[in-house]
Amino acid sequence: MGWAPMTRSLLRLVIVVACLGLAACAGLLGIKPKTVGMQPFVHRAHLLNGVSCLDCHSGIAAAGDVGPLHLPTAATCMKCHEKPHDTHDCKECHGSAHTRERAELARTNLRFEHRGHVLAANGECVRCHVAAGDSHPESLLPPMGACLSCHQHEKQFAGRDCEGCHVDLPAERIRPESHVVHDGDFVREHGVRAASARDLCSSCHSERFCSGCHGVTTPGLPARLAFDKPALGGLHRAGFKSRHKEEARGQPGLCATCHSEDSCRACHSRENVGATGMPGRSPHPRTWLTAGRGGGDHGTQARIDPGSCASCHGGAGEQLCVGCHKVGGVGGNIHGPGFSSIKSKTRDVPCRLCHVPTR
Amino acid sequence: MLVMQGEDRSKPWLSAEALAWLGTGADRTGDVLTLVVRARDVEGRGEARAGRFLVATGAIRPLHIDGASGLARTPWGTSLEAFGGVPVVARFGERDYDWAVGGRVAQRMAERSTLGFAYLQRRERGRLSGEEVGGDLAIVPLHNIDVATRAAYDLVSPGLTDALASVALRTTDWRVELFGTRRSPSRLLPATSLFSVLGDVPSTRAGTTVRWLAAPRLDLLATAATTIIDDRVGGDGTLRATLRTNDEGTASVGLELRRQAVPGAEWSGIRGIGTAPLSTRLAVAAEVEVARADHPDGRGDVWPWALVALTWHATPSWDFAGAAEGAATATVRSELTALLRASYAWGGPR
Repeated sequence: MGWAPMTRSLLRLVIVVACLGLAACAGLLGIKPKTVGMQPFVHRAHLLNGVSCLDCHSGIAAAGDVGPLHLPTAATCMKCHEKPHDTHDCKECHGSAHTRERAELARTNLRFEHRGHVLAANGECVRCHVAAGDSHPESLLPPMGACLSCHQHEKQFAGRDCEGCHVDLPAERIRPESHVVHDGDFVREHGVRAASARDLCSSCHSERFCSGCHGVTTPGLPARLAFDKPALGGLHRAGFKSRHKEEARGQPGLCATCHSEDSCRACHSRENVGATGMPGRSPHPRTWLTAGRGGGDHGTQARIDPGSCASCHGGAGEQLCVGCHKVGGVGGNIHGPGFSSIKSKTRDVPCRLCHVPTR
Repeated sequence: MLVMQGEDRSKPWLSAEALAWLGTGADRTGDVLTLVVRARDVEGRGEARAGRFLVATGAIRPLHIDGASGLARTPWGTSLEAFGGVPVVARFGERDYDWAVGGRVAQRMAERSTLGFAYLQRRERGRLSGEEVGGDLAIVPLHNIDVATRAAYDLVSPGLTDALASVALRTTDWRVELFGTRRSPSRLLPATSLFSVLGDVPSTRAGTTVRWLAAPRLDLLATAATTIIDDRVGGDGTLRATLRTNDEGTASVGLELRRQAVPGAEWSGIRGIGTAPLSTRLAVAAEVEVARADHPDGRGDVWPWALVALTWHATPSWDFAGAAEGAATATVRSELTALLRASYAWGGPR
């Protein structure tokens, strides 16, 4: 095979890759067709000119749970705007696609009938659709507070029964902020609240919300990324790095409910703090091995918060402990009163580190 | 950070999402936090997930796994969940014969309570590193009272691993919560760790949090708790006030005071925050904290920390933020850090 066919094949491959790359980045580079339908519809101007909602949204007063959205057609607009400025359909430019999409999502996923409501509100749709009075509303859907101003839904709230109205909350893509109150010290409280209520949490929060904090690969993302939102709560905000030792000792075991020893050890190693054999500083006082009960302060502290010790001395660092505490060693028995385990002393890890089988 | 989420209108039962941290610096490599495909029954009878995700169900503490889970719900309020997979290791570290399996069965009762039981077994390099059973209970006895509890019991070194309880009463302006926690730190560690065999010295913490909407724009929050660790008794408290300076809540100032008086770990701190929009697209935020440990042990007398941030919503899709962070920490005398964030959102309602 000559060079020419190979060059042609290579050229074709480069063109295909370039086209795919360009297509993938089109939005970012601004290479896209001119978007239509991006001008919000000016409900406010129509209202101020005395056009009632029902004049354009004809049939909405009798609309049930299914059926069309009752959005006005071009013919409806032309009843007043007799001389349109071009030949395009009105909704291609007037009315944002996003607003229309929200309405469609609600039509599909929200159990609601306009009939009854329109009559009850005496045709004053703005009582619920409060955003229609704004100049550039983001969404015309009524906030849930508008529903609750008439419907108490106490029984549904008590039973966490959202499905009565919200047929499919994730698909509806709304955020029911008005009734799920993340109040008080919710960062501390959410663990016990979420235990029985995963379904309720997942009605708003997707997978990545939990892993942003609890994921072991890159934990604490919200605190790291939302640095411009100081009002957001969180365990690791502000100068946590300095005070984490005190916070960990104040609530022994709390860190271990999310973090593994590895995550602590990796950071301490990077910061040159603590681990034996490293050139960094030791965090322990001079009396660490000699004063106090049960083999010095280190024994007491290790029992109170073993996770802190493991954060530096875990893994291969355990050999430091084994040197003194193996069976027959000068350190004596490390097990506290009442210790029991189903593990085999001579076969399982970590037991066999100290309980060396006799030959 | 790259966030991707996909849903199909024609197949509403199928969705996928991913969250990847692309990494910064030489020794901080990027990694994947979430990469999951989810299929669900649109009537709510069940769902299945596969990929990398976080298992958080019942009394099982959050577990990050590469695996799969399934959940089935019955019309009479029973739900059954099972999962299995390989625990995630940071930075694509090696994993030999590591796996975790577990599940939870729960029953909703009288539309006011849910009772669940969970089981977890975890292995590291094929060796048993944790086996737990747990229970959770949530009750809504009255429309303004919430009760939630959970407890896990270690089967390897038999005993209570941790137990949490919370009772909250709320009115329009007040919310009062009573809480209690009991943890056995040695049982929270993997049973393959030498530090898991030191014996059981549990810590117990109990207290109350009160939130008062003192004025339409003013929130006051107070927390007081007592902690018992071994034979030592301590406590901690927090006072926080937040004043929103506009009706939208986009501008606010706040002050927080904290004191922890647990023997050997005493510290005090004060923190102030402020946010204000400069225009419809520009906002500024500031945060200041000063903490002081009673026993600094050569780590500096006080640890001041401050941050000033500027956010610019350039377009509906583009969002930029920059900040300067300065601190004197327990490990360095002073440091100044610049933080930058640029984000772009493709498509979909925001």
